[in-house]
Amino acid sequence: MEKNRKERIFLDPLIRNNPITVQILGICSALAVTVKLQSAVVMALSLTFVVALSNVIVSLLRKTIPNRIRIIVQLVVVAFLVIVVDQFLKAYVFDISKQLSVFVGLIITNCIVMGRLEAFAMSNSPRRSFIDGLANGLGYGFILIVVAFFRELLGSGTIWNYQVVPQAFYDAGYMNNGLMIMPPMALIAVGLIVWIQRARQQKKEEGK
Amino acid sequence: MENIANIFVKSIFIDNMIFAYFLGMCSYLAVSKTVKTSFGLGVAVAFMLTITVPINYLIEKYLLCKGAMTWISPSFADVDLSFLTFIVFIAVVASMTQLVEMVIEKFSPSLYNSLGIFLPLIAVNCAILGGSLFMAERSYANVGEAAVFGFGSGIGWLLAIVSLAAIREKIKYSKIPKALDGLGIAFIIVGLMGLAFMGFMGIKL
Amino acid sequence: MDRNKNSYIFIYSIILVVVVAGALSLVAVLLQPKQAKNYEIEQKRNILSALKINVETKEVESTYAKIVTEIAVDDSGNEVEKEDALVLYKAQTDKGLKFVFPLSGKGLWGPIWGYLSLDEDLNTVYGAYFDHKSETSGLGAEIATEHFQSQFSGKKIFNADNQFVSVKTNKRGAQNENEVDAVSGATITSTSVSEMIESCLNKYLPYIEKSRR
Repeated sequence: MEKNRKERIFLDPLIRNNPITVQILGICSALAVTVKLQSAVVMALSLTFVVALSNVIVSLLRKTIPNRIRIIVQLVVVAFLVIVVDQFLKAYVFDISKQLSVFVGLIITNCIVMGRLEAFAMSNSPRRSFIDGLANGLGYGFILIVVAFFRELLGSGTIWNYQVVPQAFYDAGYMNNGLMIMPPMALIAVGLIVWIQRARQQKKEEGK
Repeated sequence: MENIANIFVKSIFIDNMIFAYFLGMCSYLAVSKTVKTSFGLGVAVAFMLTITVPINYLIEKYLLCKGAMTWISPSFADVDLSFLTFIVFIAVVASMTQLVEMVIEKFSPSLYNSLGIFLPLIAVNCAILGGSLFMAERSYANVGEAAVFGFGSGIGWLLAIVSLAAIREKIKYSKIPKALDGLGIAFIIVGLMGLAFMGFMGIKL
Repeated sequence: MDRNKNSYIFIYSIILVVVVAGALSLVAVLLQPKQAKNYEIEQKRNILSALKINVETKEVESTYAKIVTEIAVDDSGNEVEKEDALVLYKAQTDKGLKFVFPLSGKGLWGPIWGYLSLDEDLNTVYGAYFDHKSETSGLGAEIATEHFQSQFSGKKIFNADNQFVSVKTNKRGAQNENEVDAVSGATITSTSVSEMIESCLNKYLPYIEKSRR
């Protein structure tokens, strides 16, 4: 029973209760970084790191945090972790940190982080909170990577900066779809993912 | 003056917080079901942006940038506190939100009730912090420009949420595939609106 | 212990702030040198890019050290040792001696900058590199593309009468060897590039003319 529950904590946010497509959290900063797969992966990792660790920290502190300044304390913890991430990105993957620009900072206000802190970490043990944070981060990263994969493939003809659309296609008149690079297409892509996911879930429920 | 008008127009139409940067999406999608509430939230966001962006501008310029504190003493010329930017900005945003929340609660309880849990969430609304971060990134020349940018972004956000709410009110009467109904179609509508807004690209005064 | 007492909240926040500030300062101080290094490499890479040399990040430093020397000139065009004088770069490439001039200006929405390299005759443009902070993507942002930058190669900054005219962008397409095609739809950004090149090269004009003679 206990084991089962732990698995649920981990598996639920990945698909069935995905933070982006089901809970509508954390879309804010996410979609602008999905033009290229590489930046999407870095963003996903950064976010996972921040959610998991802030979940642990807040969970450890949960018995000491004064209720009235709860939100502020959570914000401070998150902001602290984000600054650490930002400094590391600037030091070690400078190129990508240039592309991500302000969006790393915006992890602070990513609703996933605050949402998980409020809903989970404030009332669960550090270890559970860690798993929960990790899973939510990965669920978020999963959508980010799917969207980025299609946008990069269709928009620039590359994947992970490697050319995958053969030159022969271009010679035959194929063109990169410049529209995919534009911001609105990210939204439409997510809309379609939501559609597919819900349609599948409905089928499953009807089949039961 | 021309510059200020340019920044204003650009921040509303071209660099629209929603359509170009997806900022403030969570509350944007959650609150945009009726025009009335979304107008309330839009005004609150616009108001917050107009206050916090100039405040953060001054803080950044006179406290955080490299060599910013020379006005206190020349010996501080090498002090670079810019790594504290995020935490200071969010602190300003959070405390200003608290203030606005108290004011609204006092003067317009009906608005306070209808916005419900979303007021505290303004503190974590990406649009507000995003406004400040973009302001820092783009290095505006003076506090006036920063304020205009904040105000313009807020108006852009307001415009976006009210128009989405209006569309969603109408679309209730349309037949939408069941799985697409609600969230899915909202995403796609926003995407299409974004495409329409791209028509403003390159516009200038 | 009463967690809602004012004194508790007060002490709690003070401890929190002190701990966080301390930890952050530590991180910042530890990573500062590495970050500064990155900015330096970025600048060097851009200079090399204006010289049409594209190398892997880890080779930027060594390549740069091998071929580029930094020199400073004063207002009347003499080479000086001073720190605060105008800086330009001499590069000994396998295509001969090149001069690289730093450029900076204001685009439509924010700063634009770049480097322009000239051949040994200090007239023919060898290569160019531009970047921008916030030009409109798909329009003004095109100045940062290879497509736009490669047009500059082979253009001249002096006209047939030996007058300094700089290299200009022309909306109607390049008409002579002092012009390149402007980015269509991005008039202001294109004009800004022209102005940036002209005003920045102007500062070096005494040096350029002196060295040409």
